[in-house]
Amino acid sequence: MIRYLLILLLFIPACAPWIGSRGTFESPSHHFSVDIPQTWMRLKCDRYLLISQDGPFLQYILVQERPIARPFRHTKKKLTRGMLPQEAAQVIVDEISCDQSVLDFQVKENTPARVNEYDGFKLLFIHKNRDGLTFKTVYYGFLIGDRFYSARYNAAKRYYFDKDRATFEEVLQSLRLERPTLDALWLAYLPPSITLPLSNA
Amino acid sequence: MRYAALMLIGCLVAVACSTTNPGLLKEDSSVKDDEQRLWQRSIEEQQVLDTSGFVYRDAELREYLNGIVRRLQPTETHDTRSFRIVVLKDLHLNAFAYPNGVIYVHAGILARVDNEAQLATLLAHEMAHCTHRHALRAFRNFKRTKDRIAILQKPEPALHHEDLMSLLGSTRTVAVTGYSQDLETEADLTGLEFVLNAGYDLKEAPRLFEHLKRELVEEKAREPFFFGTHPRLKKRIQNCEDFLRAHCQGQEEGVKNTEIFLRKVQRLVLENALLDLKAGRFPSAQRGLEKYLTINPHDPKAYYLLGEVCRQRAKENDIARAKEYYKKAILLDPLYPEPYKAVGLIYYKEGEKRLARRSFESCLALSPHEPDRAYIRGYLEQCDD
Repeated sequence: MIRYLLILLLFIPACAPWIGSRGTFESPSHHFSVDIPQTWMRLKCDRYLLISQDGPFLQYILVQERPIARPFRHTKKKLTRGMLPQEAAQVIVDEISCDQSVLDFQVKENTPARVNEYDGFKLLFIHKNRDGLTFKTVYYGFLIGDRFYSARYNAAKRYYFDKDRATFEEVLQSLRLERPTLDALWLAYLPPSITLPLSNA
Repeated sequence: MRYAALMLIGCLVAVACSTTNPGLLKEDSSVKDDEQRLWQRSIEEQQVLDTSGFVYRDAELREYLNGIVRRLQPTETHDTRSFRIVVLKDLHLNAFAYPNGVIYVHAGILARVDNEAQLATLLAHEMAHCTHRHALRAFRNFKRTKDRIAILQKPEPALHHEDLMSLLGSTRTVAVTGYSQDLETEADLTGLEFVLNAGYDLKEAPRLFEHLKRELVEEKAREPFFFGTHPRLKKRIQNCEDFLRAHCQGQEEGVKNTEIFLRKVQRLVLENALLDLKAGRFPSAQRGLEKYLTINPHDPKAYYLLGEVCRQRAKENDIARAKEYYKKAILLDPLYPEPYKAVGLIYYKEGEKRLARRSFESCLALSPHEPDRAYIRGYLEQCDD
């Protein structure tokens, strides 16, 4: 029995839903598109865009959209229509700082930022995971009507963050919003199997 | 289906019946082995918690809490057991004890209780788990029944605690996940005896449960594991009241030590209110700040934070109240930059550009390296338009 289980476990990684996909990623349900860099892999998922080159526990880029009414996991605060970018940034910072899997969380930079033509904010922060590994994240966010868009790059602080920071900026520059439709209030829950720190904010 | 249900009931009855009295634990070598393993596991879990960044560091408070524990500890256990209190930066109302006598208390519950007598009730309950070797008894009980009902016994993690507890992994000790009904009841009653013998005011004990009850209602939460999963809160309050009736009639009022307690926890109360604010638990944050102001009525930071509670909650009249709190904070400390920035934000959103400009400029003048200065400069540019 155990032997069969071990064989099954060996097959599971082979079934991981990562796919190579160069070029522009477009998702009608997400209402945004971005250019995926060469050699990066995309998680096969319709609800958000998660790409990585060396594996999501070393580095990933996550682009998400969420309706502002959707509650966060760790703070009861909500994003609201008409919030200033600074106020939205505070909600995101609080959401992350209330996540007890995020250890030693330190915001290094919190500034207004323009993502293409949209007014938003930029956060730069570091945190440790339970194994003591330090990660660095740059996080852009902006509100458009009843939706919140975010794009972040998270990587191990040592070596990996600097390695792909420029790639993230290219991905960010390629971010385009499609015409929003009111009937597309989807919920962007990450499947538990790949839940990453900071993934809900 | 019926057969399965009968089996389930049978298993549960078997667990309930197999609890051993502490005095009846047969001290053979297997008991010692089990206890050693539990203590070793406890030390490992404590190392994880102690290096997690969640430990609240306040030497004076720690000494105070350890003093309460020394007062509560029955003399006959002095030689065999020592207790140590560690406070965790966690806003939820909870506490748990490891079999080796290390008791973790969440900042949330420390900030909520009113006096030393209520706190003593909480600590005594946790101490009773240690003195009566509940972890060992639960472990041995588990070992006996694990083949049959291990899955049934696995306690559900209480709401809100998954994150912190998941630091310890899936094999965390029962100390952290809660005990059975019998053991929790025993800890309640033994704990109340400790409280009584230490001279504390037993009439304060039910108020601890009232705080917890209010938390459950506000947070719409399942019971935190301080209650255990059984018996339900109502039953435990009843047990407590029965104990009071039996032991308190005609007795003089015991020790409450309200003033000294509030003095020792004041910094923690403020910091916990900030945690509540970050978590969007506005009623708890407000209550904590108002409590802090009863200890330090002239602290501008508390008024500023009350303003933040109101501004961020933004329900009816909240914005007007926030302005008042910010003004009060500025009145108490005109050199404190944060309330200028906050009231400036309100004016800015209200379109009161002249007032907003004045507030933002004051903030930047007082704090040129204000972390939010890039935002403020942006607002000032907008105020020029």
